[in-house]
Amino acid sequence: MSSRWWLPRRTAQLSVLALIASPLLGTTFFRGNLAAADLFGLPLADPLAFLQALIGGRVFVLSYLVSALAVTACYFILGGRSFCGWICPVGLITELGDKLRRRLGSGEATMPLVASRWSLGLALSAVALTGVPLFEVLSPIGIISRAIAFASLMPLFVLAAILLVETVVSRRVWCRSLCPLGGFYSLVARFSLLRVGFVEQRCSHCGDCLHVCPVQEVLAPSLGLGAPQITAGDCSRCLACVDSCSAKALNIVLSYK
Amino acid sequence: MRGKGEKGVNREQEITMATETTNAGMSRRQFLRGSAVAPLALMLAGSGVAAVYLRPAEAGGVTLRPPGAIAEKRFLAACVRCGKCAQACPYRSIKMAGGEAGVGIGTPVIVPREMPCYLCPDLPCITACPSGALDKSLQDPEKVRIGTAVIMDRESCLSIRGLRCEVCHRQCPLIDKAITIEPRHNPRTDEHTIMEPVVHSEKCVGCGICENSCVLPKPAIVVQKTVVIQRDSYEF
Repeated sequence: MSSRWWLPRRTAQLSVLALIASPLLGTTFFRGNLAAADLFGLPLADPLAFLQALIGGRVFVLSYLVSALAVTACYFILGGRSFCGWICPVGLITELGDKLRRRLGSGEATMPLVASRWSLGLALSAVALTGVPLFEVLSPIGIISRAIAFASLMPLFVLAAILLVETVVSRRVWCRSLCPLGGFYSLVARFSLLRVGFVEQRCSHCGDCLHVCPVQEVLAPSLGLGAPQITAGDCSRCLACVDSCSAKALNIVLSYK
Repeated sequence: MRGKGEKGVNREQEITMATETTNAGMSRRQFLRGSAVAPLALMLAGSGVAAVYLRPAEAGGVTLRPPGAIAEKRFLAACVRCGKCAQACPYRSIKMAGGEAGVGIGTPVIVPREMPCYLCPDLPCITACPSGALDKSLQDPEKVRIGTAVIMDRESCLSIRGLRCEVCHRQCPLIDKAITIEPRHNPRTDEHTIMEPVVHSEKCVGCGICENSCVLPKPAIVVQKTVVIQRDSYEF
């Protein structure tokens, strides 16, 4: 098993944590967190946070729209849910939780992937109807970021709750099925260019990719019916399958098929 | 094509079988895990999350927002909880609320007794706000309305008791505009003057420097988000 993509991916995930922590050292090149940030003067914005502020707060700032669109465009090219696989600090932690779960041999139940889209719908309708930005309030992404940047540790129990449920009840349930931001990026990912391709002739059906994939469902059409690309929407482009494949049947492609 | 299809179905069955073998034949351990531990864990996680979120932001004393904050209900939705205003504040006056703030979790708050707002002329917190939760059209620090200072405890206020304190007046960045000193005869000694500090709500920005500087252990002058109109006894 080669591990070509494992190292750059972990580096990216840890760099995000380092960036969020960097203002503590008095540096100013990064400010904010994954909801909104400045990186070397470049404004970055979470498109879902933008939508919630727009709907619930009835505020509109043009520069905020532009940065939210720019970020969406980047993820459109780079694979949408690649946010989940490469950037999101919650993903990093629940991946480690998943390792623990495997060791315990618990929590085999899985929830359908489509639930994340329902969750996105719920978050958006909640903010429209009640004015409560459900996802910004609950977001374990924000909670981790603020725990790092502002030592706001008490809300970390939300993350602990997620880890508890993921290790005991259902595998990666937050990231797979409940996170509204994951739901948002899965819609972007459906149309995005960067995908995992599948060469049926090379596949030996060893099942290694199924073992490492956090969203096994996306592999089924390829392994079962020989679809030339892994289902793009829910794939987090973590590329663990590419690393795991000794037959080199899985690769990275930049096209629709 | 037909052959390929059948082969495909067989493969799919193989895969489903491969993933399902772990569920076949349930041991007592697995049964307990499925029927006792999982609901318990769900209940624990759910009630913990609910306990924190089912309360309003004011409950945790989170009332005073940074300069330029829009109306509270809209602010709660407009603020994306990025913390850039707090990072931009040179005095670290802006803190990020934690779980105590309920639905206001992660929103910025000013606690004057810890660190008041010093009204930077360029209002860097408003510049830093990406979403418009802090209104960018506000550019004049004197137009800021974080709240209004109120002398809550007239019985303790040293100036009102006849002593020469007036620290709040002298510390006020809008001295003689937001806080004035109104002298009057001291009927208790019958030979001194009471130098009473009076807050003028139309000028007060609510920066909280007065609350921060009040020499009493529990400040007599406190910034209130909304002021309940109090009638003084002489108005009756």
